[in-house]
Amino acid sequence: MVEILLILVSTIFVTNFVLARFLGICPFLGVSSRIETSIGMGMAVIFVITLAALSAWSIEKVILVPFDLVYLRTIVFILVIATLVQFVEMVVRKTSPALYNALGIYLPLITTNCAVLGVALLVVQKDMDFFQTFFFGVGASVGFTVALLLMAGIREQTAYAKIPQIFQGTPIGLITAGLMSLAFLGFAGLVRM
Amino acid sequence: MIRLVIILTTISLIAAVALAKVYDITKVRIAEQERIKTMNGLKAVLPPFNNDIDKNAKEVVVGQDKKGRDIKIKFYTGKMDEKPVGVAFEMIAPDGYAGDIDILMGVSPGGKVSGIEIISHKETPGLGSKISQDKWKEKFKGRSLEEGSKFAVKKDGGVIDQFSGATISPRAVVGAVKKGLELYKKEFSNGG
Amino acid sequence: MADSETISSDIAGVETAPAPWLDFKELSQDLTRGLWQEIPLFRLVLGTCPTLAVTTSATNGVGMGIATTFVLIASNVMISLLRNIIPDMVRIPAFIVVIASFVTVTDLMMAAFTPDLHHALGIFIPLIVVNCILLARAEAFASKNNSIRSAVDGLGMGIGFSIALILLGTVREILGNGTWFGIPVLTGTMDLFGYDYQPLIVMVLPPGAFIGLGLLVAGMNKIEANRQKKR
Repeated sequence: MVEILLILVSTIFVTNFVLARFLGICPFLGVSSRIETSIGMGMAVIFVITLAALSAWSIEKVILVPFDLVYLRTIVFILVIATLVQFVEMVVRKTSPALYNALGIYLPLITTNCAVLGVALLVVQKDMDFFQTFFFGVGASVGFTVALLLMAGIREQTAYAKIPQIFQGTPIGLITAGLMSLAFLGFAGLVRM
Repeated sequence: MIRLVIILTTISLIAAVALAKVYDITKVRIAEQERIKTMNGLKAVLPPFNNDIDKNAKEVVVGQDKKGRDIKIKFYTGKMDEKPVGVAFEMIAPDGYAGDIDILMGVSPGGKVSGIEIISHKETPGLGSKISQDKWKEKFKGRSLEEGSKFAVKKDGGVIDQFSGATISPRAVVGAVKKGLELYKKEFSNGG
Repeated sequence: MADSETISSDIAGVETAPAPWLDFKELSQDLTRGLWQEIPLFRLVLGTCPTLAVTTSATNGVGMGIATTFVLIASNVMISLLRNIIPDMVRIPAFIVVIASFVTVTDLMMAAFTPDLHHALGIFIPLIVVNCILLARAEAFASKNNSIRSAVDGLGMGIGFSIALILLGTVREILGNGTWFGIPVLTGTMDLFGYDYQPLIVMVLPPGAFIGLGLLVAGMNKIEANRQKKR
């Protein structure tokens, strides 16, 4: 129980995937202009990252390590993630049109979200067990979603602000992210992983 | 459809075979680099030695981790003309500010620290990361358990400097080195 | 921002009429496109994750730049050679396999020959695979042009990306650590900010990465705005 809590607090706040580990910045800057769309993206990411983490862990333990194929890790993981995303898209479309409408357009974008491959690589690098992998995946993706939602909230406000022309768009987004990251630095040292 | 699958499979197979080849070529070299790294560390923490130190390392099980797996520590004994000059081994400080700190430490036959090296850490750059500075690591030379409470960071009444804004990292390193000395005593003082 | 919009607008800018096989004017255009017009990081905001993560020092910036450039050139050439063999339907997975293979080669080579750099860049070497620049160039350029032009395009884009990395690494290392490529520049006689200058530690921490890149992009916008005005 304590361990679950530690993993979650650590991945969501202390080493937030976006603000401290720099994973998933592209969608973080790209899909954060409105809260509504960020919720959709966040849900899709939580779903895919958790599944990807577990699949990557299983493949590493069942195939790559026993057959001494660890050097194929990158190539196998990225293919698994791409396949997984396609598969999830198909299943969601068949089973729940409502969910598909909400997540559909975000799913294809997730393959190149480096947070997904990042989580997959980190769980095998840190030699976690299945249980830890699950919560690491959940925590990482929830952390991503938290950062995305906060960013969207701020961006909806800054949309009405008078920003010097050269700072409009990406620069102000990056500086906002920097200030958020500064705030999250306050969590440093809270939990160790 | 079948053509698609065949082409994709062929590309993947060629890629896999090519990678296997590259892996084979680089494998030796990567192992060699790792050995050089270990040797450099050993040279830094031990007095001069001239034996094949990494060939005669002895591995000892010192306990179990949370998952019940053995925790093994490798002891490297440095010898100068067949006379032992010190033993080096790795200790992990689990209580760093942001995670584990890996330390390589050398102990001379008298039970005194002959040097330490920080192998890896995740401490805050510019604050806790100062533990990797040579000036600070020098302070450990000659320390032993006999000094008692003097072997501690200044804040705890000892002689080792802490850094302004970072006490946790130095304290963690001191703690781990002390534990290392105790381990050394246990493994080597009884005729070992 | 790897959405299809940026990628497809990219394609539109790249399409050129059939040209003689080796045309130096065209090649030099291919090279400079990545250097200013479409400098990947500042213009298209592609490849931000590795940029922010590894630029705690200028040296890391150079290492990441070279690694990415190598993968860009190699995968561009390979994809260009295979462009008539790969069926359209499976081109994206095929591109990913090619890119991932070259990334793995780079990873192994760096572990074998530059272990310190390999350690410093860590997980961001395998993550070159998902650097949007690679897939974007494969899709927009290499799958439509011959291998020489693709190689030059990869080189240009790679150098453009490296310049951005080194620039950000330089700013962060000097302000945050007082050194440049590991050499102290803010101490002693060369002290820019007075004798008691304390490094701005926040610059090598995560917030400094975001803020530093934000200011750099704004600076680029300013230069571009001035150029537009002159015309």
